[in-house]
Amino acid sequence: MRRICLLFAITTLLTACSGNGEKQESAGYQSIDTVPMLIMQVQKCARLYTTEYKVHKIVTHDDVIRLRGSLLKQDINIKVPLGERKIAIPIDATLKAWIDFSQFSEKNIERSGSRITILLPDPQVTMTSSKIDQKSVRKYVALTRAHFSDAEMSAYEQQGREAIINSIPELGIIETAKASAARVLVPMLTRLGYQEQDITIAFRKEFNQNDIQRIYGQEK
Amino acid sequence: MARKSEKERLKELTVMGKKLNVRVLALIAFILVFVWLVFVRKDNTVGIAVDDHIGTTPTQIESIRDIGEWEFLSISNEELVDTMRKGFFSNDELVRIYYGTLRLGIDMHQASQDWLTVKGDTVTAILPKIGLLDKDFIDEARTKSFYESGSWTARDREALYQKARRLMLARCMTPANQKVAQENAEAQFQKMLKALGYQNIIIKFEE
Repeated sequence: MRRICLLFAITTLLTACSGNGEKQESAGYQSIDTVPMLIMQVQKCARLYTTEYKVHKIVTHDDVIRLRGSLLKQDINIKVPLGERKIAIPIDATLKAWIDFSQFSEKNIERSGSRITILLPDPQVTMTSSKIDQKSVRKYVALTRAHFSDAEMSAYEQQGREAIINSIPELGIIETAKASAARVLVPMLTRLGYQEQDITIAFRKEFNQNDIQRIYGQEK
Repeated sequence: MARKSEKERLKELTVMGKKLNVRVLALIAFILVFVWLVFVRKDNTVGIAVDDHIGTTPTQIESIRDIGEWEFLSISNEELVDTMRKGFFSNDELVRIYYGTLRLGIDMHQASQDWLTVKGDTVTAILPKIGLLDKDFIDEARTKSFYESGSWTARDREALYQKARRLMLARCMTPANQKVAQENAEAQFQKMLKALGYQNIIIKFEE
C-alpha cells in the first residue's frame, strides 16, 4: 500500500512539473500580428483632376447547369432542372479625368503679343473608387446548389469593374474633362493679368505604343 | 382454398420478378450504350457545363461634376483584412484583400478668392491645406477573396470594408506623407509659375 502511495505521489509530482514546464514554454511565445499590409507604393505626381463622373452598373449572373456535348453527331445542350442560381450585384464607381502636369514646362506655352496658348496633353481617366452596394445584392439559389462563395462573387465584381472601364470611351468624359480644364486654368491665368479672350487652352494627343501600332496597321 | 391462393401469389411473384428483370436488363443496356457512346466512341462528348460569364446593364451616369483637384502624392495600398466568428465546433473565417489609392493634394474649390496675386515681379500663391482628395478611395470591385469558411452576410462584408478603410487611412495619412505632398505641391507650383515667366514666386499654405 505504501509503495502504491509513493508511486502515486511521484507520478503526481512529475505531472505537475511537466505542466509547469509547458506553461513556461508557452509564456515564451509572443503573439504576432499575421495580418500586415501587403504592399504600399508611394508616388509623387502632379495631376489636375478636372471632371468627376459617378456611374452605376448592375452585374448579373445566371448560373445554370447544362448538359453539353455531342452524341451521334448531334449537339446537345440540355438545361438541368433545379440547378439554377442567380445573382445581381450593384456597383457604384467614381471616374475622374486628369491632366498630367509633371512634364509641364515653357515648351507647353506659346505667346504672341498679349495672347497666350497653353498646350496640354490629352486627359486620362482613372477609376478612383468603386463600392459594392452590399445591402442591395440579390441572390436566388436552388435547393440542389451551393451558395455563391466569396471568391465567386469577387470574380463577378471584377468582371463588372472591367465592363465599367471598357465603357469609358462611350461616356464622353474626355471631352468634358477638356472643357473643365479650361474652367480651372482660365481663372488662374486671368489672376495673373491675362484677358480671358486672350487665353487658349489646347490639347495635343500623346501617342503611345498602341496608337502607333494601330496607325501602322491602318497604313498597311 | 388457402393452397390455391398461395399458388396464385407465387405465380404473381414470378411474373413480377420477370418484369423487374426485364426492366433491370433494359436499364443496364441503356447504361452500357451510354457508356459506349460517350467513352468508347471518341466523336461523342457529354459533360456538365456552367457558364462563368456575367451579364451587365448599361453603365448609367448618375452625376457629372466639374472639379479642380491637384494631386501631388499617390499612395497605392493593399490591405489583407480578416474577420472571425467563433462557433461551437469550429470557427468561421473570412479573409479578403482590399485595394485602394489614397490621393493627397489640394482642392482648388477650397481656395480663397485672392489665392493668386501679382505685385510687381512677384507672384504669391496661397494654397489650401493638403488633404485627402477622395473620402472613398477603396476599389472594392477589385477586391480578392483569400479565404472563406462559413457563410457571411452583406453586413459582415460592409464591416470588413470599413475596417480596411480605417487601416489604410491610419497607415497612409501620416504627417510624413502629408509633408512630402506639400513639398511636391510647392515644387510643382514653382515650376509651373516659372514656366509662365515669373522669377520671384512665393508659395504659402493655409493653416
